[in-house]
Amino acid sequence: METAATATPTMLHPQAAAITVEARGIERRIGLLFAATGVVLIAAMGVLGLIMRLTQATVIGLSPAWFYRLLTLHGTGMITGSLLAMMGALWYVLHASVPLRPGRMLATYALTLAGVLAVLVATLVGGFGAGWAFLPPLPFYAAGQWSVWSESLFFVGNLFVGAGFCVFCIDVLEQTTTTYGGLTRTLGWDYLRGREEKAPPPQAIAATVVAIDGLISCAVGSTILVGLLGRTYDHTVGIDALVAKNLVYFFGHSIANLTIYLAAAVIYVLVPRYAGRPYETTKVLVAGWVGSLVFIATAYSHHLYMDFVQPTWADIISEVASYGALIPVAVITIYSMTMLIWGSRYHWTLASTLLYIGFAGWAIGGVGAVIDSIIPFNFRLHNTAWVVAHFHTYLILCVVVWVLAFLAHLLERDAGRTSSRAARTWTVALILVGGYGLTGTWFVEGTLGIPRRYAIQPSGTSGYSMVGASFALLLALGFLTFFLQLIPLARTAWTRRHSYQLVEHMHSWTGTHYQARGAPADDGSPLDAAMPARRGLPLASPTQLAFGLAASIVGLAAFFPQVVNASEVSNRYHHLDHAGHFFLGAMLGLLLGSVPAISQRLGDHTSIGMIAVLAAPTLMMLLMVPRIYEPLERHSFEHALYHLGMAAFGLLTGLGATRLGLVAGRLMFVLSIGMPIMFAAAMT
Amino acid sequence: MLRGDERGRAVLARGCRVSLHFGDPQIAIGAVFAVLSFLLACAFLVIGVQAGSEVSVERVHRVGYWLRKRWLALLLVIGVLVVGISLFDLPFASGSDAGRTVVKVTGGQFFWSLSPNRVPAGAHVRFDVTSIDVNHGFGLYDPHGHLIGSVQAMPGYHNKLDLNLTEAGVYQIRCLELCGLSHSTMESTFTVTRR
Repeated sequence: METAATATPTMLHPQAAAITVEARGIERRIGLLFAATGVVLIAAMGVLGLIMRLTQATVIGLSPAWFYRLLTLHGTGMITGSLLAMMGALWYVLHASVPLRPGRMLATYALTLAGVLAVLVATLVGGFGAGWAFLPPLPFYAAGQWSVWSESLFFVGNLFVGAGFCVFCIDVLEQTTTTYGGLTRTLGWDYLRGREEKAPPPQAIAATVVAIDGLISCAVGSTILVGLLGRTYDHTVGIDALVAKNLVYFFGHSIANLTIYLAAAVIYVLVPRYAGRPYETTKVLVAGWVGSLVFIATAYSHHLYMDFVQPTWADIISEVASYGALIPVAVITIYSMTMLIWGSRYHWTLASTLLYIGFAGWAIGGVGAVIDSIIPFNFRLHNTAWVVAHFHTYLILCVVVWVLAFLAHLLERDAGRTSSRAARTWTVALILVGGYGLTGTWFVEGTLGIPRRYAIQPSGTSGYSMVGASFALLLALGFLTFFLQLIPLARTAWTRRHSYQLVEHMHSWTGTHYQARGAPADDGSPLDAAMPARRGLPLASPTQLAFGLAASIVGLAAFFPQVVNASEVSNRYHHLDHAGHFFLGAMLGLLLGSVPAISQRLGDHTSIGMIAVLAAPTLMMLLMVPRIYEPLERHSFEHALYHLGMAAFGLLTGLGATRLGLVAGRLMFVLSIGMPIMFAAAMT
Repeated sequence: MLRGDERGRAVLARGCRVSLHFGDPQIAIGAVFAVLSFLLACAFLVIGVQAGSEVSVERVHRVGYWLRKRWLALLLVIGVLVVGISLFDLPFASGSDAGRTVVKVTGGQFFWSLSPNRVPAGAHVRFDVTSIDVNHGFGLYDPHGHLIGSVQAMPGYHNKLDLNLTEAGVYQIRCLELCGLSHSTMESTFTVTRR
């Protein structure tokens, strides 16, 4: 918990001063940039959603080709917009205690926007319409609707968005684990086991969990996206539909799910400001986030219940994980927030009201999701409008509402006032009636077995779409009234921009003093400068270095002629052999980069390290396309060079991982090793 | 494109309408959800009203933590019961084909092929479902238009779905997985004849 000496918060609970860290200029600017861009994207995608609902209601005569283009864009854009806004919000609340780097955040922003642009062109110009889940091999069965370039561009767009999120997650993981002294301390596990007196603040624990699960999801997503990108170049590449579906849903489900967990980290900071009560880390909270760490990564398989060839144990794990995910949310996050609010003389503003109603959206949408994750129920609801209903409930009525709340929080704080009570009431009423009316209609359709993703609704069901579209219009009106309130708030904030007081703060963990709400000169981050370089190396002790050496020697087996010859039996084995070469290189890189003398010579180039761990495995997998390597196999020298090249990409990855420190470096190393193995499983 | 659109509408015009049927499990599921949502909405309303009052933190903690233990216990009991019971009602086909009428189902853009495409009422049917191109969703609707089960049609894999079809009539098949342009018009029928 940070302390503020003389903070005079406006628009917050009278007792919020003691628990509120005034935001610095850089935090406000990053927060505002990400939230505003996210909101613009969400609003645009919302309009597309309305157009699709009106099409289903036969009010608009959109052709199925355009319907599926918009559907694809709507899904990808909405998730990306929410992700973008929530990354900005998390940065805003975390930067006060963890020295996240603005440069990394701008790289995240640029990569994400490049991805959005690519998806926009791929869908609107290229006609790509395989859905945001792009279940392979659908992208390659265009039925004359899109061309190869639009497929490629869509995959590249998704890769960019994933890379942007990766940059964010690596920075969060690197900096939280450095600030709080290692992974187990950062996650509060040492505190849980009684080894530490104090635990990091809740937002740091949540952010670290999100970063770990986010990096795992992006590694899985990059693997399948690169595989599909290779397939656009070489049509002889086969796709294992089941493995590919697992990878796609692991990526898509987890990223969509993580937007809400990012939001959880944000509300841990924002809600106490309106309740006037601190929210501190407890052992229960730490235990809950241990559960979330596991459940987020294991719940995705409920998308494959109706693929009966999926191993039953995977379905059962998913069912348990899907229900299990409910426990930390219902018992810890939502429950403890309501405890915080109860009898607190909660300070109702536009932001705080939206924060509050978001809890209901999460709870009600979550119940719908849990019902759908019970296998016998899913048998009757799978891919019906029920699915649309539950995720729209917690995305619109929780995540999007919290995005709006964050934006309102920024502007209200800067403006020193909120909007009128009548305007707030209208906004909230329209959002609640419109939102729950819209999703409620889908729930009814789901119980009737009406399928989702239909450009043309089954006979006799367009009336439901009409009802849903009417509520969607009310919801749109609610958002419009929200934006209308923001304009005067923004104007006031702009006129007050030079009238802030300087306030002394002390970061309780590092003891660093800094000033907030100051002139631009204060925007340089004193915490960054004060942060000791104690990231550590992935292989830190002689024993670990010896283990690395032993693993490298074992990895040499991938180059044995017998192994190379045996791998020619099939593409899958061949890819596995490539994975072996990559492993050898990566292990060597990790080993060399962890030797203190070499590490010192390599210097503290964390950005170059990050680029290496993101780009090298991707490029390596892009080269794992038979059309590229088969001509080389006819010449032994070139063939040998190609295999050495695989190891070289590994070497770069391993060296890069050592620049990211102990925790992020090890995780990125393990994930990069896993990527070509997953690639071998999916692409045949 | 428009031609496909018109063709789709023509096919759907022949399709059966969906209607409420109070015996459907979905209705029970929907009712449970509606009740739970209502209770949650009431709870949030009460908490929202109480947020304006002033209660000491000590009291909130004393009552809140007492209640939280019971809330956790309740959710765990419900979870164990629901998840546990559900494991005895898994829809995945098991055992050999013996004693079952095997219906080979193949999905393709944008058609269903069923062989045989009719069985007598009361038959224990095993749908052996696959796809020749992309992922499709085999959704079977009874003569009243109610979804009675679904399974995915995947290229390279065979998913087997067991159903006992006791009611004679024309069953509707709809695609439940986005499969391309004419996904929403990818329909077929399956007939269950009287014995």
